[in-house]
Amino acid sequence: MRFSPAISDDRLARRTFLGKAARAAFGLTLLESVTGRASAAADTAAGGVNVITLMMRGAMSHIDTFDPKPGREEQGETGSIATKLSGIRFGEHLPRLAGLADRLAIIRSLTTETGAHEQGTYLMRTSYPQLNSIRHPSFGSWAVHALGKRSGDLPGYVLVGNGNEHPGCGFLDPAVTPVPLADPARGLENITRPGYLTQANFERRLALADRIDHDFKQRYAGRQIEAYDRMYADAVRLMGSGDLAAFDIAREDDKTRERYGRSRLGQGCLLARRLVESGVRCVEVEMRGWDMHRDLWEDLPGKVGELDTAMATLLEDLDARGLLGSTLVVLATEFGRSPKINENAGRDHHPAVFSAVLAGAGVKPGVVHGASDAGGRLPDRDAVSVADFNATIAAACGLPWEKEFVAPNGRPFKIANDGKPIAAVLTG
Amino acid sequence: MIGLRRTRSSLAVAMAAVAFTGACLAANRAKPARAAPRSGLPAAVTTPPTGPVMKVAAVDAGRRSRVHAEAAEIDVHLAARWQEHAVEPSPPLDDAQFVRRIHLELAGRIPTYEETVAFLRDTASDKRDQLIERLLASSDYVSHFYNYWADVLRLSERPQKNLLFEPYLAWVKDSIRTNRHYDDWVHEMLTADGRLWENPAVGFQLRDDGMPLPYVDNTVRVLLGTQIGCAQCHDHPFDHWTQHQFYELAAFTAGTRTRLGGAVKSAKPGAEAKPVPPPAVRTLVKEARDSKGKKAGALVQFIQANATSVSFRDTALKLPHDYQYDDAKPSAPVERELLWGKVPAGVRNAGGREQLAGWMVSRTNRQFARTIANRFWKKVMGVGLVEPIDDFREENPASDPELLEHLTDLMLRLDFDLREYVRVLVSTSAYQRRAVIHDTTDEQPFRYPGPALRRMTAEQVWDSIVGLIALNPWSVQRPTAVEIANVAGVDLRTATIDDVEQQFDRFVKEYGPGAYQRRLNKVCGYRGQWLLKASEMPAPLPLGHFLRQFGQSDRETIEGGRTVPTIPQTLAMFNGPITHAMLEEGSVVYETVMEHDADETIDIVFLTVLSHEPSPEDRQAAIDELTAADPATGCGNLIWALLNTREFLFIQ
Repeated sequence: MRFSPAISDDRLARRTFLGKAARAAFGLTLLESVTGRASAAADTAAGGVNVITLMMRGAMSHIDTFDPKPGREEQGETGSIATKLSGIRFGEHLPRLAGLADRLAIIRSLTTETGAHEQGTYLMRTSYPQLNSIRHPSFGSWAVHALGKRSGDLPGYVLVGNGNEHPGCGFLDPAVTPVPLADPARGLENITRPGYLTQANFERRLALADRIDHDFKQRYAGRQIEAYDRMYADAVRLMGSGDLAAFDIAREDDKTRERYGRSRLGQGCLLARRLVESGVRCVEVEMRGWDMHRDLWEDLPGKVGELDTAMATLLEDLDARGLLGSTLVVLATEFGRSPKINENAGRDHHPAVFSAVLAGAGVKPGVVHGASDAGGRLPDRDAVSVADFNATIAAACGLPWEKEFVAPNGRPFKIANDGKPIAAVLTG
Repeated sequence: MIGLRRTRSSLAVAMAAVAFTGACLAANRAKPARAAPRSGLPAAVTTPPTGPVMKVAAVDAGRRSRVHAEAAEIDVHLAARWQEHAVEPSPPLDDAQFVRRIHLELAGRIPTYEETVAFLRDTASDKRDQLIERLLASSDYVSHFYNYWADVLRLSERPQKNLLFEPYLAWVKDSIRTNRHYDDWVHEMLTADGRLWENPAVGFQLRDDGMPLPYVDNTVRVLLGTQIGCAQCHDHPFDHWTQHQFYELAAFTAGTRTRLGGAVKSAKPGAEAKPVPPPAVRTLVKEARDSKGKKAGALVQFIQANATSVSFRDTALKLPHDYQYDDAKPSAPVERELLWGKVPAGVRNAGGREQLAGWMVSRTNRQFARTIANRFWKKVMGVGLVEPIDDFREENPASDPELLEHLTDLMLRLDFDLREYVRVLVSTSAYQRRAVIHDTTDEQPFRYPGPALRRMTAEQVWDSIVGLIALNPWSVQRPTAVEIANVAGVDLRTATIDDVEQQFDRFVKEYGPGAYQRRLNKVCGYRGQWLLKASEMPAPLPLGHFLRQFGQSDRETIEGGRTVPTIPQTLAMFNGPITHAMLEEGSVVYETVMEHDADETIDIVFLTVLSHEPSPEDRQAAIDELTAADPATGCGNLIWALLNTREFLFIQ
């Protein structure tokens, strides 16, 4: 039994006691955040938009997915299919999303400057170029920072994927950094005390650790160590949370798990839905393996199929539960892949034009914005920068995309850098 | 003096009770608990190793006075800087602080109780030198520096389906073990020919197989600390490198082939020069596909792995077909041109690859020496003189150019002996001072009043914890190139499909998917964890593994390791099985406590986990704990508490 038993007074009492113990043990007070906003831990906002981002790592080919070029050499081996939107075709491995095209906003004219994975992913997540002198906050962290957490105990932001490479909270308060989960099927691991360890003993241990740490913390006071204090406190609070069931997709019936697809992305989307339902504001689900420099058609059909199943099911599921109106779903990647097929039957990096998809809260359904040229090489009209794309997402969430914040180094920053929202894909 | 009354058996019973009722530990995972939870630690792990783990090249004790002189030069320089900038140097490390720091620095783990106590009690005036020299010749040194290079070189067992990379991983470790000098080592990596298990150094050229331009980018980044990668597609936006220059450099290695073959197709820009597979290989692949059913895919990959072989023949490189600048026509052939300097006279008539390698490691190419000097300065002091260490640029000058040139000269004088270089650095008095906080976004240059305070790397955390549990953390070692060759090598010119299949079966049994992991489960597995040195683990590890959670790289990005805190890390330390393994009978900390009198327990636990005696306040806190709870539980609480201090994780 991994998670708390059914709702009971015991659990409530335990949660409070644990919360108190955590504060006492670490001498915490509500930490002021960088921009003067009270700690997100105490500040929750029940409403507002949630964001689920599906991040395709490795650069998803645009021609084989949302921007096919039927009849041309560039199309390669992927066929194309009609969608619910008249005149608009998708790659053949997206039948379910094709059927939902009238609920989507598809952007086919994204363009970026960098063809390197690390820099491109950083740019997509933060709207800023990767620099040595500062770490920018990821979009999800901005959203939690500006809109607040929805839940007291649950994190505001969860990443199903690799935390190492994620910009995280950047210069914002560590409270808004995403909690990284490795495997959706395993959820949040090590969340319960081992059976032999009583609650009382656990708290004794925490208190003792804190006492022994006194000298070290005095000598090395500062942000670096404070971040660790914050993690400890958040971990303890999470252990006592009554909402941990949200992390456990084993509680879903098999049929549901099948519908999302048994892939990591599929189960990750299911987890994302559960988390958003339970009060997590932002979830990012990574899917790797898109960097298909060779033998593209060996791997691509399977991968695109996983995406189709997972994303379509997620949208339908959110809709059925009445959550799609308050949840924005984003499909993004760092750049596209070359229309020209290379010597190894693959496609190389192509920053000049690529595609992304939005759906849900704040988004106008059934819209295709921008186009690439006949060969899928360059934007033909309505080129959209990565910053513009993120500004659009910010606007859909009701975030102050035009506001200038001041970072700790005194420099001004905006949620989406210099981006401007694309009115054509927004309802508001 | 506390009247702790406990016998070994009563404590053992109490602790064992603790361990056995930890059947709930299995419940931390989604899978149902195993039928009979493993009780206690595996025998291979609690039995001391019978002999030395590996034979490491000796350290020259006779060089000690030279080392001191070289260290003193650095100290003099830094002292002048401190005065210039009114910087107060940090207090010197006392012995307890030193013994912990130097073990982490050179052996990648905290010292054991015995090591700490022996050092503290040693009265020899040169005990620090002796310890440095001993650690530099230890197998843990090899393991620790292997972890470092694994992160830089992205060492992964199967970076692509056709690459059986274990021999390369083994070769990197072996190069450290034999203290191969850096320039020699690099030169071999840049020019090696053959298959992985015949000549493992080819792994460096194969890491980016199929992507010859990223190969150039990554090589320049790691070896010359220079980022030219943006120039692959267009003139560099921030720096002065043009796309033309990028191609001119790439022209040196354009003739590198990675498949066995005869006739060569003409090289198109950016593509590997793809030879036509020899008839034997084509036939075998066809036979595998046609007749082998479920096995077909894996068998074809095995054949491809055997057909993967590095060779070189000078080939022209052409500019891309969409080259957009005025200085040349698209698809025009490119002349070879270095980023700076000249091809050394000795290799002027050699092939492009030899020319590039000769230039790279030449004494006159100071940037090569400068990059590695800066890289290891950062490793030891926490902050490079140029940061980031792979982004040397005019707009990004060194914080202390004189010192950087001095270190570069030192590296050249030491003939690129990296181990001696490290030996000098850790012998400085600047290094042997308490760590200080350094904010990486601080615009003021760091003046090294002491090394920068850092969290342990994922591997240091892991190896330190495993050292508290396992008397023998080396119960399994990664395969060598010879072991792989025995089960992977096939002579494709003469083999029949049945020969291939036979060897394939042997390979899968030993090193197929999950085979190594199964061996680890059997020998050193404990509640789903392998009680083994990080360097001997499968690479990369899955995302949920403790090491990955603590920031170990997925080995896909250069230097992808991170030391930022996360909630899953904290939970793993609080509640994860690895923390509780040390409370099991047979663990190092358990046995150490049991071997001594009850009234020594507090000191022993502090010395074992934090490498120092408790302060009066700490001692009181510990006494309060041991007297309030029952002693066995109290002891477990004390060990857990020390492990979960922030102090444990940071290198002071």
